[in-house]
Order: sequence, then C-alpha cells, then structure tokens
Amino acid sequence: MTAMRVDAKVVMLGKESVGKTSLVERYVHHRFLVGPYQNTIGAAFVAKSINVGDKVITLGIWDTAGSERYEAMSRIYYRGARAAIVCYDLTDNSSFQRARFWVKELQTFEEHCKIYLCGTKNDLVEGDRSARQVDFHDVQDFVEEIGAQHIETSSKTGNNVDALFMKVAEDFSNSAFELLPEEKGVNLDPKKNSYLYTCCHH
Amino acid sequence: MSQRSERRGIHVDQSELLCKKGCGYYGNAAWQGLCSKCWREEYQRARQKQIQEDWELAEKLQREEDAAYASSHGSQSQPSLTAFSKFEEKKTNEKTRKVTTVKKFFSPSSRSTTKKEKERDEEREKERERERGEKVQGRRESHGETLLRDLKGIFTHSWEIGSPTEESHEAKSHSPSFVHQSSVETDQVSREFVDFLKSLKPGREIHKQSRAFVESMGNKKDLGADELSECVQDFYQNMSDRLLTHFKGSSEKVERVMDQVEKYIMTRLYKSVFCPETTDDEKKDLTTQHRIRALHWVTIQMLCVPVDEEIPEAADSVVKAITDIIEMDSKRVPRDKLACITSCSKHIFNAIKVTKKEPASADDFLPTLIYIVLKANPPRLQSNIQYITRFCNPSRLMSGEDGYYFTNLCCAVAFIEKLDAHSLNLSVEDFERHMCGGGGGDVSPRRRSESLSPWPLELLSALQERQQQVLEEARDLQAELQRWQEGVAREVQDILDKYPLEIKRHAAHAIDSENDENDRLPPPLQPQVFAG
Ligand SMILES: Nc1nc2c(ncn2[C@@H]2O[C@H](COP(=O)(O)OP(=O)(O)O)[C@@H](O)[C@H]2O)c(=O)[nH]1
Ligand SMILES: [Mg+2]
Repeated sequence: MTAMRVDAKVVMLGKESVGKTSLVERYVHHRFLVGPYQNTIGAAFVAKSINVGDKVITLGIWDTAGSERYEAMSRIYYRGARAAIVCYDLTDNSSFQRARFWVKELQTFEEHCKIYLCGTKNDLVEGDRSARQVDFHDVQDFVEEIGAQHIETSSKTGNNVDALFMKVAEDFSNSAFELLPEEKGVNLDPKKNSYLYTCCHH
Repeated sequence: MSQRSERRGIHVDQSELLCKKGCGYYGNAAWQGLCSKCWREEYQRARQKQIQEDWELAEKLQREEDAAYASSHGSQSQPSLTAFSKFEEKKTNEKTRKVTTVKKFFSPSSRSTTKKEKERDEEREKERERERGEKVQGRRESHGETLLRDLKGIFTHSWEIGSPTEESHEAKSHSPSFVHQSSVETDQVSREFVDFLKSLKPGREIHKQSRAFVESMGNKKDLGADELSECVQDFYQNMSDRLLTHFKGSSEKVERVMDQVEKYIMTRLYKSVFCPETTDDEKKDLTTQHRIRALHWVTIQMLCVPVDEEIPEAADSVVKAITDIIEMDSKRVPRDKLACITSCSKHIFNAIKVTKKEPASADDFLPTLIYIVLKANPPRLQSNIQYITRFCNPSRLMSGEDGYYFTNLCCAVAFIEKLDAHSLNLSVEDFERHMCGGGGGDVSPRRRSESLSPWPLELLSALQERQQQVLEEARDLQAELQRWQEGVAREVQDILDKYPLEIKRHAAHAIDSENDENDRLPPPLQPQVFAG
C-alpha cells in the first residue's frame, strides 16, 4: 500500500509521442532514455516532493495515454487536477492543434485546473531552425488570451524541465493559501465526486 | 497413502487395519486411521470447537465494546443487554442460513428448516446441544461426502461469480463461507479498531463518535445513495478536521487514523450501502457483465496490448492481475478494494516490462488494463466502482497513486462501454459480424475456449453439467469404496478363518501371488485412486 501523501494532482496531456513520458522521466530521474531502456519498471504515476520556500509540496504526476482511441476518456483523467501540463512537439504542428483541443476541454470542465502549455524537444529546433513548426510568439499570444502559462523544454538536455515543475509547485503553493477556507483539496462535494464516474457514461 | 503400505497392512497385522478408536470397524489411512464414523465424529468435534471459539471471541468483543460504549455514555450496563440479544439473534440467523444452504444441496426436499427457525431465540446452550444431536442422528457423512461438499463449495463460488443473473441476491448473503467469514471479520475489525485507538489520547472519543455514526446510519436506510455518500463524506470531513486540530496539523497522523476509521465504519455499513436497492447499480453490473461477455472475441492484438503471454513470467503476471481485480469484490473496506486495483496494476506493469524489456508508460498501461478487465469480467464491477467513489476517503481517491489506478479502471470501463469498430481499428462490418456472434471474415475469430470472457453462457452450462457429472461420479466412487472395503474385510476374515495357524511371514510379498490359488479374490486393487 502506498502511503505517500499527495498535495496536488498534476496531469500530463498531449498527443502520442510528443514527449510526456520523457518529460516526467527527466524531471524525476534526471535522465533521458534513448534506444534500449534500462531495466526499470516504468511508472505512469509518480509522486515527487519539492521545496517551495519553507514548505514541502508533493506533486502527484499523472501520465496519460495519448492515443486518440482514449480521447473520449481524457475527462476522467483530468478530473480534480490542480494543474495540467499540455504538451506539444515543437517540430509537429498537428500536435499543437491537439493541444488546443485539450486546453478547451480543461477550460470548460475543470476551471480550477491551471494550464501549462509545454513545447517539447526544444533541442531539435535549436540546432535547426527550419525544424520548428510551431512559432513561439503565436503560442505566447494564445496563452495570454486564455490566461495560461507557456514554456519550451527539452528532455534531452534537461533545458527548462525543472523550471516547469517548480513553477507548477509554486503556483499551487500560492493558490492553496488563497483557497484554504473553502477548498482544502479534501473537501469534495459528493455530487461532484460522483461525476468522476458518471461522465464515463456519456 | 501409498499402495504398498496398505498392502503390507493387510498381510502383517490385523490390528493395524482396525479403527484406532478401537470401535471394531476398519480404519482408513485417509481418515487418519479411523473408521468413517469415528473420523466424522472427530472432525465434527474439531469443527464444533472452532465454532465455539469464534463465538466466545465474538461475545467477548461485544462485551468489551458495549462496556466502552456504556462507560463513555456514563450509563449502566443496561444497553449492553439489548445489544447482546440482538447480536445473538443475528448470529443464530446466520447459523441457520448456513446449515440450510449445505442441506439444500444434498437433499433439496428432504428436510424443512422452519422448525429450526421457530427455535431461533432459544438459548445458545440448548441450540448447540440440538445441533450436535442432529448431527449424530443424521446419516453418516463420510470422507467422500465431505469432499463432495468442498467440491460443491468451489463450484458454487465460481458459479456465483460467473452468473449473477440468477440468485444474485442469494449469492450476496447465502454463501455459507461468506456469511461466516463476514461476521468474524466484523468482530476482528472492531477489535483491531479498539486496539489501535487505545494508544491514542482521543481514542475513546473517536470510538464513541464512529460507533454513534454507524448507529445513526442504521436509521437512514431509506436515503438515496448520494445522500448516504454525503453523510459518510461529511463524517470523514468533520473527523479529519478535528484530528487535524488535535494533531496540530500533522496530516500524516490524521490520515493514519482516518484509514482506521474508514475501515471500522465501512466494514459495518457495507451490507446496507453496497449496491443499495435505491440505485440501479445492479442493473449496470448486469449490463457491463453482458457487454464484456459479448466482447469475448476481442483479441490482444486488436487492443494493441504490449504483452506476450507466451513468456511465462508475463503470463503469470496476467493471471495475478486477473485474480486481484476479481478479488476486489470480496473486500469490504473501500481502501482494501483500491488496494486490489493497485496490486492488479503493478502486475500489469510487470507483464509489460517483461515483454517490452523497457519501462511501461501510460500508453501501454491503459490498453492492458482494458484487456485484463475483459478477460476477468470482474463481479459487480460497477457496484464496486460506485461504492469506492461514494465511500472512500476522498484525499486518497483524488490525487494519490491508488487514485491514479482507480481512474484508469474507470477509463477502462468507459472504453468498454463505448467500444466500437473504430476503437479496435476494425471495419464496421467486421465489428457487427463479431458482435452478432458470426465471427468469420478475414479477422480470424478465436476459438470458444480461447475467448476473452472466461464465462460465456455455453461454458457455464457445460460447467454445470460437468459439475453434476463429477458429483455423481464421486458418489459412485464413494459407494464403490464402501463395497470394496467390506469386500476386502470379508475376504481377509475368510482367509483368517480358514488358515488360523498358518500365517507365514514369508507371505510378505504381494497379494497377487495368492491370487493363483484363490480365484475369488478381487483383481489387484489400486487404492491410491481413493486415498487422495
Ligand atoms: N530530441 C528529443 N527527443 C525527445 C524529447 N522528448 C521525447 N523525445 C523522443 O520522442 C519520442 C516519444 O517520447 P515519449 O516521452 O515516449 O512521448 P509520449 O508518447 O508523449 O509519452 C521518444 O523517442 C523520445 O526519445 C526531447 O526533448 N528531445
Ligand atoms: Mg508516454
């Protein structure tokens, strides 16, 4: 039985192979795996503690299946999430279109969830500018419009990875203070709670 | 027992053949050297003792708890009396039910139980005596019959799992082992709760409140599931708020106490709030069950499951995962049910890891979980999911690791409900053909025996037939065994009578050699068939 107490649920969203798993792997294990992987049991869930000021925040990071087959179920995944890292591949424009879809979903169904748009594989566009398919400023305009955060990372070099999760933890820590009276993270309206499952039916 | 030792017994010493109790009957190694009658008595005595011990423990616990309750209420021993007699009645009820079920199988019409029911509130001593008497006067139950009953138990169990359509209400309460276990479990949990609370300063208060809450829930049976859930969640919330103040903000300590509170409360409330009649949980269970059965043709390839069941370790993990998810239904505490899902998930990860030789990710996990659910067709899946959603401590459900796996299970069920041609990359025609049971086409259908759902209806009825057959054969076997025993005894006696003084030690070789001289001896026997 896992006893690790988790303060905030952080859900990873994004099209298949944009680099969600690599991002978590880099952040948690400080490594980037290519080719034959080491002999570790992969995990789709990790709990990670971060020091924010004088507090310790434990993030529960939820990796999700990116295949379109399961798109209809994504709502079940991000239910109750305090933060969503929506990933897109900087070298693949279609992945950004999918990211926009999730942003819309989150805005509609999960208003307390903070959105972090994350452009991945930064290392690929750094060496070769022509590889870039998603313009930084376009995305910047988009996130400003919707009130989200934006960052470009590389799991290969580790660029911006820690910064991303640090930001998530800090934002949570700050918002947890503001929301404390009504929203202890534990206080779930049972009706809302049952939505977790009811939404499976439609 | 091996063939040889029994043979030697026949030749060497007659006393070794006899029942160790010295009743004059012949004994049998399988009954620890006793005859069937003495063996049965011995067995009953042990069982009786066990029952007696359970009883004493239960009574003691009840007294303890009542005492604790009474003292915390500042009142005298008066309430303990009523509580006790209520408890007594319940216990007797369960006992009666248990006996009925066993009997129903052996002689469906031979004995009615109404008489027993009338005597329900007789005092315990009398009841036990009566039971004992009944057992003695009842026909001799031999080893074979015990075996039969055990067999029946095994079959009944899987039968109930496979087919909740019939007797699903009965299955809930009438399975003898379940009833017995559940009351013992409740007592055990109460005891553990008291033990756990002893070490805490506010322990008495926590106990008092939890108990009072359980009792107050007894008056709320008419509430809908959502309201019930709300009550329990409010209670959790109030309790953990107070604990948080008491423990000065240490949420770990609060969580530990809350786990115990959940366990205590939900073990007691389980029967009334699991799949309550006010909901359509049961209907949903059936729908899902049928749906999974209808999807028996779905293959591991269609789902893109990265598991190769040819690899023994992977296959082993798959079996364990299936076992765990099926076991979820047998747990009462939401957290224990969650633990089954988590354990199932860990096995899935292992199966993937062994196959892919690289870490599994969410993309591998979800399809494999879907596959496991299709293959296991877990009993009362929807009821269990609803129960966990309604009554689990929410902090665990929403963000922790258990919550992650639980959410994936919800996704898997949602996927199965919605599954269509597109989700399996099949053409609409192929999909329809499969769903109509036609199979065929270029997508080769799996043979019945390989299908995903382990209990399609045909299989179930075939299983029932086979079960019947096994039972009949076992009965025949038992009769034959009896005849054989008597036959051998007669033969031996004949020989002993004929040649009283001529038993020679050199005759230590097999009985077969004497066969030449005496055609009337039976052919060589193979007792190992019966001895197992
Ligand atoms: N060059 C480069 N490749 C990456 C990066 N992140 C992921 N990849 C590669 O992209 C592929 C898909 O990554 P994965 O993490 O499995 O994506 P997921 O399906 O979103 O979980 C893998 O081959 C990774 O090696 C990155 O930052 N830089
Ligand atoms: Mg992945």
